[in-house]
Amino acid sequence: MKIGIMSFAHLHAEAYIQNLRAIPGVEMIGIANDDATRGEHFARQFNARRFPSYDALLAEKPDGVLICSENANHRPLVEMAAAAGVHVLSEKPLATNLPDAQAMLDACRQAGVILMTAFPMRFSVPILEMKSLLESGGLGKVYGFNTTNQGQMPIAHRRWFVDKTLAGGGAVMDHTVHLADILRWVLKSEVVEVFAQTNRILHADTVDVETGGLLMLTFADGTFASIDSSWSKPLNYPTWGGLTVEIISERGIVTVDAFSQNLDVYNQKQNSHTWAYWGSDANQAMVAEFIAAIRDRRAPEVTGEDGYKALEIALAAYQSAATGKPVKLPL
Amino acid sequence: MATMKIGIVGTGSMGQTHAAGWAETPATIAGFVGKTAAHVQSLAAQYGARAFPTFEAMLTEVDVVDICTPTHLHHPQVLQAAAAGKHIVCEKPLARTVAQAQEMIAACRTAGVKLLVAHVVRFFPEYVRAKEIVTAGDIGQPAVIRLSRGTFRPQKATDNWFTDPEKSGGVMLDLMIHDFDYARWVAGDVARVFAKNAAVEHGLVILTHRSGALSHVEGSWAFPPPHFHTRFEIAGSDGWLAFDSEKNAAVSLALHHRQTDAADVPAPGIVLDESPYTTQLKAFYRALTEDAPVPVSAADGLAALQISLAAIESAYSGKPVEISPLPEVTA
Repeated sequence: MKIGIMSFAHLHAEAYIQNLRAIPGVEMIGIANDDATRGEHFARQFNARRFPSYDALLAEKPDGVLICSENANHRPLVEMAAAAGVHVLSEKPLATNLPDAQAMLDACRQAGVILMTAFPMRFSVPILEMKSLLESGGLGKVYGFNTTNQGQMPIAHRRWFVDKTLAGGGAVMDHTVHLADILRWVLKSEVVEVFAQTNRILHADTVDVETGGLLMLTFADGTFASIDSSWSKPLNYPTWGGLTVEIISERGIVTVDAFSQNLDVYNQKQNSHTWAYWGSDANQAMVAEFIAAIRDRRAPEVTGEDGYKALEIALAAYQSAATGKPVKLPL
Repeated sequence: MATMKIGIVGTGSMGQTHAAGWAETPATIAGFVGKTAAHVQSLAAQYGARAFPTFEAMLTEVDVVDICTPTHLHHPQVLQAAAAGKHIVCEKPLARTVAQAQEMIAACRTAGVKLLVAHVVRFFPEYVRAKEIVTAGDIGQPAVIRLSRGTFRPQKATDNWFTDPEKSGGVMLDLMIHDFDYARWVAGDVARVFAKNAAVEHGLVILTHRSGALSHVEGSWAFPPPHFHTRFEIAGSDGWLAFDSEKNAAVSLALHHRQTDAADVPAPGIVLDESPYTTQLKAFYRALTEDAPVPVSAADGLAALQISLAAIESAYSGKPVEISPLPEVTA
């Protein structure tokens, strides 16, 4: 099976290229990037073939592509791939507005190709453990969730992450969709209301998007969930950030830290303290699911529709933050 | 100056704790009054003090009244003590309603007596240290604050007023007021409150401070006994600090279970050379003898109460509640 990568704008592409190469029977055919310098840089770094254009990559007739462009540029690349009859795994958030997201869903449906949204937390083993615990019924009634997906402000990785036009927003757009998706998935219920407050106190001199965000979601079944989507981890924190879920249930409280499986590492020469992650690789399992869905000619575990729903929740958060009032869904 | 005489009303766990605190000051415990005669007798014997038959009888014999009774009794007892010209320590929450608290503050002002609202968290050294670091500017301007306090539902052998929301206000008034007060101490006055509360009494609250800072406050009675934790995290424009009572515990126990007496209201084990409850009462003693300012003003107690009541209202109505500045607080 032949898979290509369209754009290296998102840093996750650096992980996915290695994930693809680790899957037996998958040929990573190469990469294309509209920024030739960036394309050349990563082609060299990963010893990959560089196609001069996205069209040239698609002309190679891959079975599927991973799209890792800036959020606002997902749509044109997804439409190109769909037109070429190529299955798509798109980085999250699926788009920066609902019309773009809808156009992507339509293009892939009409072309009969898979559109999968890159929500790796669905494949996180701690999160899967949490899901089975919830499904076992052993917790009794579940009332709510206290969740966090905090991170470092990502400007050091990619400048466009803090560009409202390209990213669609700041911390809320970057971090809300993972937990919004997990919660929809485990509750099998849709969000009916979003309340959110945002601020720009952290890194106020550096960026003009929001860096702090607190949300409260209400689901159709009455469950509530708060999400802290702030870029509040300091730049010298031992790791990029993390994702935690606390479940409030009849039986008591369950806490899940999806990135707790680390070693504390201190290096005297570099005067550094870092965390070395030793847990399972959710990205690997996610990319493997994309390949399996293509191979088995079935819908993937996480779809473009899931990406649309998560984006809708993030967009509702911006509306709520602007008005100070809860916003009803669907938008 | 004659020795200051203290009278304690309420002989549950908080009355006992305050007695131990006063015993560390130059003041004399004149006596106790309470609902449970056995507790009153044993405390009187322990401190060589009197067992007063009534609150009125105690008022004529003391300089300071320390009110450690259930929340709904604070209002009449403070009014009575103020009318008798006694200085007052009042356990948190100051009152059950804003109007009651305003009347109590006015009565103390008219009578020329000092009122300490016992927000003891302001004397716990981990919270004090964090406040000092914020005040010193070491982590810049507070942006996103997370506060959590969780334990089991308060147990009492008989007449459990904690579980009567009319008397205690439930977890959002009785427990979360600690962190509402702390959030306000660190990040200033609160403008907006949005809250959810589970049927098991586990609240999640988003506070929007007038400064633009956001606080996520969690308070729970939904843990199994003997759990008790406190946690906080303050992300500021120049840094970040965090505390977790479980991770930072100096002494931890892992003991096999055995049948023991039912616990009263849980209190964390305190591994310090001085109990923060004692520190608090010593500070009030100084305020009385040296005419220094009261360490936690009645206005602070009122402002924290107002946030708690707004949270209860928001959880009930499903709508955000805007906080209108009270003259007592803004003065």
